[in-house]
Amino acid sequence: MKVSLSWLKDYVTVDVDVVELAEALTMRGLEVSALLDRYAYLDRVLVGSVTHVAPHPHADTLSICQVDAGTGIKPVVCGATNIKEGARVPIALPGAKLLSGDTIEAGDIRGQPSEGMLCSEAELALGTDSSGVLLLPSTAEPGCGIASALGLSDTLIEFDLTPNRSDCLSVIGIAREVAAILKTPVKYPGVKLPQGERPIEELTSVTIEASDHCPRYAARVVTGVQIGPSPFWLQDRLHSVGLRAINNVVDVTNFVLMEMGQPLHAFDFDRLAEHRIVVKTARDGQIFTTLDGTERPLSADMLMICDGRGPVALAGIMGGLESEIEDHTTAVLIESAYFNPITTRRTAKRLGLNTESSFRFERGVDPVGVKRALDRAAQLMVELAGGQLAEGVIDAYPRPFEQRVIELSVKRTNRHLGTQLKRDEVGTYLQSIEVHTEPLDEDRLKVVPPSFRVDISRPEDLMEEVARLRGYDQLPTTHPVSHAVAKKPDKKLRVRERLRELLAGCGFSEIVTYSFIDKDACDQLLLDGDDRRRQMVWIHNPLTEDQEVMRTSLLPGLLATMHRNSTQRSENLRIFELGKVFLRTGPDQLPEEVEMISGLWTGARYGDTWHFKETKVDFYDMKGVVEAVLAGLNITGARFAPLTADGVPYMRLGHAAQVRAGNETLGAVGALSRQVLRNFGLKRAAYCFDLNFDRLVAHVSDEKHAKALSRFPATTRDMALIVDIGLEAHRILDFIAKMGQELMRDVEIFDVYKGPPIPEGKKSMALRFTYQSFERNITDSEVNSVHETVTHNVLKQFNAQLPADSGG
Amino acid sequence: MHKQSSMKEALEGVEKEALEAIKMISDLAGAKALRTRYLGRKGVVTALLREVSGLPAEERPGAGRLANKVKQTLEQAFDEALKELEQSIAESQEEALDVTLPGRPLAQGHVHPITQIAQAICEIFQRLGFDIVEGPDVELDYYNFEALNIPRDHPARDMQDTFYISDNVVLRTHTSPIQVRVMESQPPPVCIIAPGKAYRVDSDISHTPMFHQVEGLMVQEDISFGDLKGILTTFVHQIFDEETSLRFRPSFFPFTEPSAEVDILCVICRGKGCRVCSHTGWLEVLGAGMVHPAVFEMVGYDTDRYTGFAFGMGIERIAMLKYGIEDIRKFYENDIRFLEQF
Repeated sequence: MKVSLSWLKDYVTVDVDVVELAEALTMRGLEVSALLDRYAYLDRVLVGSVTHVAPHPHADTLSICQVDAGTGIKPVVCGATNIKEGARVPIALPGAKLLSGDTIEAGDIRGQPSEGMLCSEAELALGTDSSGVLLLPSTAEPGCGIASALGLSDTLIEFDLTPNRSDCLSVIGIAREVAAILKTPVKYPGVKLPQGERPIEELTSVTIEASDHCPRYAARVVTGVQIGPSPFWLQDRLHSVGLRAINNVVDVTNFVLMEMGQPLHAFDFDRLAEHRIVVKTARDGQIFTTLDGTERPLSADMLMICDGRGPVALAGIMGGLESEIEDHTTAVLIESAYFNPITTRRTAKRLGLNTESSFRFERGVDPVGVKRALDRAAQLMVELAGGQLAEGVIDAYPRPFEQRVIELSVKRTNRHLGTQLKRDEVGTYLQSIEVHTEPLDEDRLKVVPPSFRVDISRPEDLMEEVARLRGYDQLPTTHPVSHAVAKKPDKKLRVRERLRELLAGCGFSEIVTYSFIDKDACDQLLLDGDDRRRQMVWIHNPLTEDQEVMRTSLLPGLLATMHRNSTQRSENLRIFELGKVFLRTGPDQLPEEVEMISGLWTGARYGDTWHFKETKVDFYDMKGVVEAVLAGLNITGARFAPLTADGVPYMRLGHAAQVRAGNETLGAVGALSRQVLRNFGLKRAAYCFDLNFDRLVAHVSDEKHAKALSRFPATTRDMALIVDIGLEAHRILDFIAKMGQELMRDVEIFDVYKGPPIPEGKKSMALRFTYQSFERNITDSEVNSVHETVTHNVLKQFNAQLPADSGG
Repeated sequence: MHKQSSMKEALEGVEKEALEAIKMISDLAGAKALRTRYLGRKGVVTALLREVSGLPAEERPGAGRLANKVKQTLEQAFDEALKELEQSIAESQEEALDVTLPGRPLAQGHVHPITQIAQAICEIFQRLGFDIVEGPDVELDYYNFEALNIPRDHPARDMQDTFYISDNVVLRTHTSPIQVRVMESQPPPVCIIAPGKAYRVDSDISHTPMFHQVEGLMVQEDISFGDLKGILTTFVHQIFDEETSLRFRPSFFPFTEPSAEVDILCVICRGKGCRVCSHTGWLEVLGAGMVHPAVFEMVGYDTDRYTGFAFGMGIERIAMLKYGIEDIRKFYENDIRFLEQF
C-alpha cells in the first residue's frame, strides 16, 4: 500500500517531518517499509537551454535542436513546433525512465544523432498538454533537475500492512491513523450530490439471490456521460500511487477505491441486458471472459454479477469484457457492494486472480461505507463526465451490519498489559481512533468500534489498540514470577548433544540438508520394492521437482553433499547428519517420524602431509568411528554381524556390517555399493553408517559403575592360531569370554595375516591375553597352566593349529 | 688423637670442597683440571694419602680407610660428571627440530552453525526455567492453523505460503503448533521452548524452503505483556550483548493479541544505519504477543484465570547476524569449507 504525502494532506494536517511521521506510524503498527521520492522518475530530466534550431535535412516535420543541458551542448531531434532559440525546455537524457515505462536512448533519427528527448508536460506526467514541448520559465538554470526547477516535491509512503488492518487500505484510512497520532481531526471529503432526474427504480433493479455471499449491493445510474480523459488533478492522484489513468469514468472508480478503500465497478449501463443486476452464484463449468480478455472457468460457489442474460462481472474481483466502459459509453451503472470475504478469497485463489478489489474484499471493507463511496463516485462522475444522475439509489441490503458492542474491563486491560491505566485514559485512547466508549461502572467501559474496524471484536483487540496507541515502548518491562520447577532435560536431547560432540571429536562435521528430496532417491539407493522406505510422503505443491517427497533416509542428503563438495574439489570428507525421516502411514494421516544418525567418510584417512603418505579410508576406519560413538554413549553389548543381502542393498556385501544391540538392529556400517555411488554421480569410494537414533537412545545407559582396579601385576601371553579363513574373530573372542577364566582380564587381536607361508584357505590370527589376580601375585607357572588350558580349548573348538615353528 | 682428628677433618673438608666444585663443572677442560687438582699425582687427595703413612701406627688403618673412601667417592663423582657433560655436549650437537613445521593433524569436526545457535538459544531459556519440547514436522492443518486462530480462507494464511501433503496435512509453517499440542496435554502453568524445522514455499537470498525456528510459550496466572518484554530483553542481552537494545512494535499474528514485532538495535552498525538493517538502525528478529483468547478456548484453558505470552524467532536470522552471513542458502549448501569455520 502506497500513499503520497500530498494526497494524504487533503484529509489531515501534517505538521511534522515525513521521516518522523513514518517512524510514528511504524511504532503504531503501520509499518512504513520505504519513503520514496515521488518524482524519482524525473532524475534524468534536466532543464535545457535551446541554443540553435535548424531544420532536419531529411524530414520536414523534424528539427535539430542544439541544447545546453549544463554539461555541454547536445543535439536533439525534435518534432515540436513551439521551440525557439533561447527557450528553456525539459530534456530527458539517455537512461531516463518515464512514467509511461519508456526509457530514453541516444540514437540516430533519420541520419541525425539525437542525444535525448525534449518533453511535453504529458510525457513527463506533469499535465495533460501534449501539443508541444513544455516551455519553462527563462529563469530556469540549464542543467538543473526538472523537479527542483518546477518546485515539485512529494514523498511516497510505502506501507507493509498486516492483514488485519483492512481499514488502512486507503488514503483516508491512513489519514485516520495520522490524525490519531498528531491529535488532529480527519477532514473527510464532503459529498454533494446533484439533483437527480428520473427515479432510478424506473431505470434498473438489483436482485440478490445469494445474500450470504453478498450482504449489501448498492447502485446508482448516471446517464448522458461523455467519456474522455480525466482532468490532470485526478490523473496525478492515480499516478502518484502507481495506477494508470484510463478515462474519466474508470478513473473516478479507481480514485474512490484508493481514497476510501471501497472497490467500485462501473458498468456500461446500455450493455446490461434488461438493464438490471442479479447477484447469484455461477453454474459449474460456465466460462466467463474477464476484462483482461482471459476466459475463466467458473464453479458453483463463485459469486457473479449478472444482467438479465448472464454474468457481467466476477463479484468483487474483476469486471467482464462485455460490459466494460468504452469510448462511446453514454450511461453508467456504478456498483458499490459488500462481498463476503471468504467467497471473494476462495474465488480469487481458485482463479489465481488477485486485484486491488479482491484484496480489499478478502480482508473486509467497511459495510457501512458502501453508500458513502457510491455517492462520492456519482458526484465526481457527474462533475467530470457530465451527464445526469438518476434520482435515488438502489441499496439492496439483505444482511444489515450488526454493530458490535464490547464490554472492556480496565482492570483486565491492566493485567494483560502490565499497566496501571485509569478508566478514562483507556477511553481517551480508544476515542482517538473513532471507537465510541461509555463508562458502565468504575471498571468497565461499553465500547462500540467503528464499522470500518472489522478486526475488532473482543476485549483483547481493544487492549491491543490501547497498547498500540500508548506505544509499546511506554509499557512497563517486568519479570514473571517463576515457579521454579525444572524438569530433567529429556534424554533424547542430551544424547543428541553428546552424539554431535563425539562425532565432531572423530573429525566429522555436521550437515543440515532439506527434509524433502528427489522422488527417485529410493531407486538410486536400490531399495527393494517392499522396502518400508518406499512409503514416501509426497508434497502436493513442491517448489522444485527434486524436492517432491519427504526423505525416508538421510543417505541421499549425504551423497548429494559429497557430490557438491567434490565439485569444489573437497574430496576428503567426513560428514554426518542427525535428523528425521518420514514414513508414510496412510492417506490424510501424519507419517511416522523417525530420527536417524548417518555419516559418510570419503577420501583419505590421513591426507597427504609431511607426516604421512595419503591413506584411503577403509571399512575398519568407519567401524572404529561407530565403536567410538557407541562407547562414548555408554552403549555396551553392541555387536557387528556380516551384512546379508536383504535389508541394506546400498552397501557392498562383504564390506558392511549390521550394528545390533540386544535383539534390535540399530543400523549398518560399511562401504557404499559402487552402483549407488554411480547413481548419485560419484566416482570415489565412500563409507557410511546409518543408524536409527531413536533406537540408539533406548540403549544409552546413564549408569556408570567404577570397577575395582587390581593392585597386583599383570602378565601377558600371546597365542598365534592358524584357522579357517572364514572364521569370524568375534566367534573366537566370544568363545574365550564364555570360558570364564577368572584370572583372564583381557584378550585382544593384534595381528591377522593371510598368505604364504600360511596355507591357502587359512589365516593366522595372533591374540594377546592379559592375566591378573585381584588378591595376590600370580606365578609364571600358574599363568602358563591357565594359558595352556585356554589354548587347548581354542584349538579344539575351532580346529585350529599353532604355527609350525612354535612347535605346536 | 689431635693429629688423627685433624687428618679426618682435612679429608672430610677436601671431600666436601671437591664435590661442590664438581657440581659447578661446565666444560671438559675445567673438569680435567679439577680432577688433576684433587686426584692427580700432585693432587690434594694424593698428598693427604701420603701423609697417612706418617701417622702413628694405631691411627694409620682408620685414616687410610677414610682417605681411600674419599678418593673413591671423588673418582666416582668425577666419572659421573664427565659422562653427563659428554652426553649433554652430544645432545647439543644433534640437529634441532624445525618446530615451525605443522603438527601431526588430529581431525576435528564441526557442529553445524544452525545447531550451535539453536543450542545457545535453548540454553538461555533453560536457565530462565523453560523446558524444551518438540513436535512433528509434518503436521495437521488443525494444529498448524486452525487451533492457532487461522481458519481456512483467512487472509492470514497468505502470511505463510504452505507446503501441502493433503487437505488436512501440511509441513508445519512455524513451530507454533507445538504450543497447542503442549497446552492440550497439560494444564497451566506452561513454560516451554520449542525448537525445530519449519517449511514455507519460498526461496531467495533471505528465504529457504526449510528453516529453523524457536517458539516460546509461558502461561500462568497474571502473565502480562510487560513480562514478555522482560523475558525477551533478557534473552537478547544474553544472545547478543547488554548494549543491544530492543524495540517493540505493534504487529499482527492471528494467535496473539496484542501482537508485537521485536526489533533489536542493528548489531552491525549499532543503530547508525547500514546495508544489513536497510539503513533503519533496527533489525527485526522476533515475533511475539499475548496468547489470543481464542487459542486458549481451543485448548480449554480458563481465559479468566490464565494469561500467557508466546514468541518465535528464526534461528538462521540470529546465526546470520552473529556470524556475518549474508546468504541464508549457505547453511544448506553444506560446503565443508563453510562448515569448518564454526
